[in-house]
Amino acid sequence: MIPTQAQSFSMLLVAIAPFLTAFVAPLVKRFVPQHAGWVLALIPASIFAYIFSFIDLIAQGEKLRFALPWIPMLGIELSFYLDGLSLVFGLLISGIGTFIVIYSGGYLSGHQHLGRFYAFILMFMGSMLGLVLADNVITLFVFWELTSITSFLLIGFDHSRQASRRAAIQALVITGGGGLLLLAGLVLIGFSMGTLDISTMLQYPGFMAEHSAYLPVFILVLFGAITKSAQVPFHFWLPNAMEAPTPVSAFLHSATMVKAGVYLLARFNPILGGTIEWQVTLPILGGITLITGALLALRQTDMKQMLAYTTMASLGMLVMLIGAGSKEAILAAMLFLVAHSFYKGGLFMVVGAIDHETGTRDITEVSGIAKELPITFFGAALAAFSMAGLPISLGFFAKEEIYLIAKTFEWQHWLIAIVALVGNALMMAAGAAIAIKPFLGPRIATPKSPHEAPLSMLAGPAILAVLGIAAGVFIYQFGDWFFSPSASAVYNHKVSNHLGLHFDPIPLGLSIATWALGGLIHWKLETVRDILRRIARVWTWGPDQGFDQFMFGLVRFADWITRIIQHGRLELYLILVFVALAGAVYAPMVLTGSIPPMPDVLPQLRFQEWGVLLIAALGLLAVVFGRTRLVAIVSLGVQGFAVALIFLLLGAPDLGFTQFMVETLSVVILALVMTKLHLDQRDNRVFEEVIRDGGLALVCGIGLTMLLLAVLQTDLDTTLTEFFTKTSVPIAHGRNIVNVILVDYRAIDTLGEISVVMTAGIAILALIRIRAGGPKRGIGAIKKAVKRATSSARKTRSAS
Amino acid sequence: MSSDLTSFVALAPAYPELLLAIGAIILLMMGVFSNEKTGNTMIVGVAIGLLAVTAVLVAIHPAEGVLFNGAFIQDGFARFMKVLVLTGSAFALVLSVSTASDHNLNKFEYPVLVILASLGMLMMISANDLISLYIGLELQSLSLYVIAAFKRDSGRATEAGLKYFVLGALSSGMLLYGASMVYGFTGQTQLDEIAKVISLGEPSLGLIVGLVFLLAGLAFKISAVPFHMWTPDVYEGVPTPVTAFFASAPKVAAMALFIRVVFDTFEPIAKDWQQIVIFVSIASMVLAAFAAIGQKKLKRLIAYSSIGHVGFALVGLSAGSQTGVEGVSIYMAIYLTMTIGLFACILALRTDQGYVEDISDLAGIAQTRPFIASGIAIIMFSLIGLPPLAGFFAKWEVFLAAVEAQLFVLAVIGVLASAISAFYYLRVVRTMFFDEPNHQFIKTPNELNVVIALTAALIVTYGLTVGGFLKDVAGIAAGSLF
Repeated sequence: MIPTQAQSFSMLLVAIAPFLTAFVAPLVKRFVPQHAGWVLALIPASIFAYIFSFIDLIAQGEKLRFALPWIPMLGIELSFYLDGLSLVFGLLISGIGTFIVIYSGGYLSGHQHLGRFYAFILMFMGSMLGLVLADNVITLFVFWELTSITSFLLIGFDHSRQASRRAAIQALVITGGGGLLLLAGLVLIGFSMGTLDISTMLQYPGFMAEHSAYLPVFILVLFGAITKSAQVPFHFWLPNAMEAPTPVSAFLHSATMVKAGVYLLARFNPILGGTIEWQVTLPILGGITLITGALLALRQTDMKQMLAYTTMASLGMLVMLIGAGSKEAILAAMLFLVAHSFYKGGLFMVVGAIDHETGTRDITEVSGIAKELPITFFGAALAAFSMAGLPISLGFFAKEEIYLIAKTFEWQHWLIAIVALVGNALMMAAGAAIAIKPFLGPRIATPKSPHEAPLSMLAGPAILAVLGIAAGVFIYQFGDWFFSPSASAVYNHKVSNHLGLHFDPIPLGLSIATWALGGLIHWKLETVRDILRRIARVWTWGPDQGFDQFMFGLVRFADWITRIIQHGRLELYLILVFVALAGAVYAPMVLTGSIPPMPDVLPQLRFQEWGVLLIAALGLLAVVFGRTRLVAIVSLGVQGFAVALIFLLLGAPDLGFTQFMVETLSVVILALVMTKLHLDQRDNRVFEEVIRDGGLALVCGIGLTMLLLAVLQTDLDTTLTEFFTKTSVPIAHGRNIVNVILVDYRAIDTLGEISVVMTAGIAILALIRIRAGGPKRGIGAIKKAVKRATSSARKTRSAS
Repeated sequence: MSSDLTSFVALAPAYPELLLAIGAIILLMMGVFSNEKTGNTMIVGVAIGLLAVTAVLVAIHPAEGVLFNGAFIQDGFARFMKVLVLTGSAFALVLSVSTASDHNLNKFEYPVLVILASLGMLMMISANDLISLYIGLELQSLSLYVIAAFKRDSGRATEAGLKYFVLGALSSGMLLYGASMVYGFTGQTQLDEIAKVISLGEPSLGLIVGLVFLLAGLAFKISAVPFHMWTPDVYEGVPTPVTAFFASAPKVAAMALFIRVVFDTFEPIAKDWQQIVIFVSIASMVLAAFAAIGQKKLKRLIAYSSIGHVGFALVGLSAGSQTGVEGVSIYMAIYLTMTIGLFACILALRTDQGYVEDISDLAGIAQTRPFIASGIAIIMFSLIGLPPLAGFFAKWEVFLAAVEAQLFVLAVIGVLASAISAFYYLRVVRTMFFDEPNHQFIKTPNELNVVIALTAALIVTYGLTVGGFLKDVAGIAAGSLF
């Protein structure tokens, strides 16, 4: 079915509407302060309903592509793609989003920035919907980064606290940076496949696997996914992100945003999956994340932290399953994804309610509040029921499906099943702790005396908890609607719906083992926690500290660079320029292999020529080592005169005399200027600096000499020479070609040069006539003043 | 011999330059004879008008061609870049209208110098000969040296001016040396003629050295590493409205010159200069990304940011293709918009004690000055290259060109540098939004608010509004070089 223009537009509206609503959210908050959440929730609810209306079509295996031209000249269309996978994600985002918006109204009621909060969370929702519905990879990337930014804003919502600011920056750096790598990967796919549309890419499965760019693409996309989905070693931002208000944690950091990485892997499974790299890397990464997350969860007493780490573990499970890539694994991943969103979203909201009502969320400080918060307890219990995978919740079927992998009796699959078993058991223990410990047992005093939470905070957890069970009861129907189509989309072939109660011995046996192990861990939770904490005391370094060290190192490195290169001293800048110059001179000679041979002229030199060369060399030494400016300037003149003498000796008297003139003039001008300026007359450089400057000058000079030698070895273009030899006598009546050029061919140029020299002379005259006076200012003067001050200080000290 | 020196009609392609030159002289006279108190504002106004009229003239006046024995060329590329330069100069003057007196810029020479510098830039962009190239460059540079040291009583400004002058003179010398080598080994000074000679045979060593020196001189003008050292010192030292000018129009003009020289003249030896451009590009991006992190002064941060952005623009250039030139053209247009907007925001933040200098002075302005804070935030996000803001499209274009030219390593380094640079841009955003306010700010002049709103709107809606048009125009501009 090809959607109409109107349908395409409505699908665009699905992604845009939350943004538009975000703009008016603060106004809504102002007009209906008490019920803004309920009003604003109408938007996600209607989006949910709209996406829901496609369920029949999608269940029949249709894939819909909605396209609107956006930036036609870049070939970027605003196109959306709806298949089983994006449908499930879209429904989760808009459905849970509805409850979150309502919940926020209760949780943050009375907060002065509640309006802003609504705006942020709606913007996030729009970005997330755009991300899962996008067909064009660039659109996908845009929304991907928008989710990072909105997540940054939401984590840092309580921005007066240092911890939440750090967490916000950390999350943005990790996920945003991963996003940039993802962009590189996506562009590379686009170039390799010649299209930017995912729907088109999906028609060529296996194309990329053969392509030479596969490995870089795989690595780049993988980095995008594992940073977003908090896989080890980039997991640390997720627990820190719990600084955000609880609705944010429930929505972004458990049900939706962190699953964007999973979505990406699932979406690209047909395109990039099926290779050795994919099937080895993903399960290992996922497995490590699963076990690490589950263990770290048990270490915590803060219930939100516990949930955060179990979320991380669940993400590991999803990555592992997608990596395994078999039909069962994909179906299991989809089941687990939905089940997890239901129970984890619910549990987060429950913890938020406990925190809100009792004033603490430390699991050791709350106990026995089931009587005061019966409905919350009901939600928590059902959610934990599904999390533990007890029959016949949705979690149960998810787990059965995972353990079906083990039926193939291959060692890799058994390994996956065992890892999943341990992870599940650990997570079950954590979930049970949250559902049982605060509600049952003896009542202990809490910072606030608890009442049942308001309706807005109960609707979400209760309905999600019931859904988690209901989906299990009607598993076959749900499978037809959601799980089979979405798994088919990921697997790229039809995955038939075989969900139901089967009592297969292997999965059931593994399930029973899970419950037993989970129960045992929960029973001995205190001991386990103690052991884990003891390990944590020994093993202090983690990527979280690593992040800080990295950031700190970056700043230190930046400082170092600035100190080395940007110190503000002109002298050193000039040195840098000359170093670059030397590089520019030597590099082409070395690279083109045209270093000139040393010309063999030295033995031919006569006595007087040796003498002149010696004078030049002495002059240069005096320039470098002369301690006053005047000496240096005059020595430069000596060297120049020596060069002029060489011209004389080699038979070019006119050139020699010109050189004499120029040298005289420049010595006079330089000496005048330098002595008239209020600069220190002495050279204050220390010996090392003299050597450095002199050496650099030598290197540049030798380089230029070599360059000239090399250049002279190639043939010059003789067109001009021939022209002048042919024409100078008949046209200009002169035998000295140089003179003819100067006074005939370029007469106007020569006139111009003379005028320039004259003008310069007038300027010099002006310089001379300025009387030396006024305050002594300049670099040398300051140094002298400092010296005077220090010596007088020394005197006074010795006197006392 | 064409008759363009004797016929006014034949001069049509150079009308904009003539208008600006005559206008500058008239303005100078107006300044001399006008009342010192009331005259300045009027002269600034007239100068802005003059620049704007010239920009419109360039944009709508279709006369293109080669003049003055091939020394001057007006083509699609030149017109595109000239409009950018003139817009940049005009807006830089707009920013100085109400802030000039605080910065000792309220002398009539300032707008005149800006116009003269702009004239130099136009000549650079249209230069089709090594000589006219150098003269245009020097007209621009000399005007800029004077502007840099305009605040004569400030030690910082004069130091900055002197540094700029010494290093600038050195680079001009290198450029001239390179130009003479190129002339020596091709026997031509006209750019397209040089290209013809080069394409005849293998490039000689002398030509390569000439190329290297020429590019080194130009690299100084666009402040690319390793000739960037003056940038942070000068940006910080000179008055802020002047920094706004330095960061915008001259960069565009120098980049245009760079493009014309490498594509028009050295096209046949593209693989030689590509190496240099790639090196300079990577060095600029990486150094700027790391060095900017440690900065505490806002203007130094912007200086490093501009160095980095030059590096990004050069990524497109190193592709050596028409797409690359198109990308750089778009990049410069977007960069100009962001720069002007950013400086408008900075100039809009004035306390009793003076203008903001440190990044920490921006603390909490999201609460006290939400409009400006959101302006800065939008520009910062755009400078990072976050979609869907304009800055993203700028980077997209150049990286696309690099990927097309198979320069994957360069593209990846670019993306990584861009990610690192996000660090310091975000620090500014964090300071504005999350820290407690520590300053009271004075009311912002209206024209600054208008500039901020305008640039922010352009940046945000780029993809929907001007993006298509700009892409088309840049495509035409790039096409005229090939």
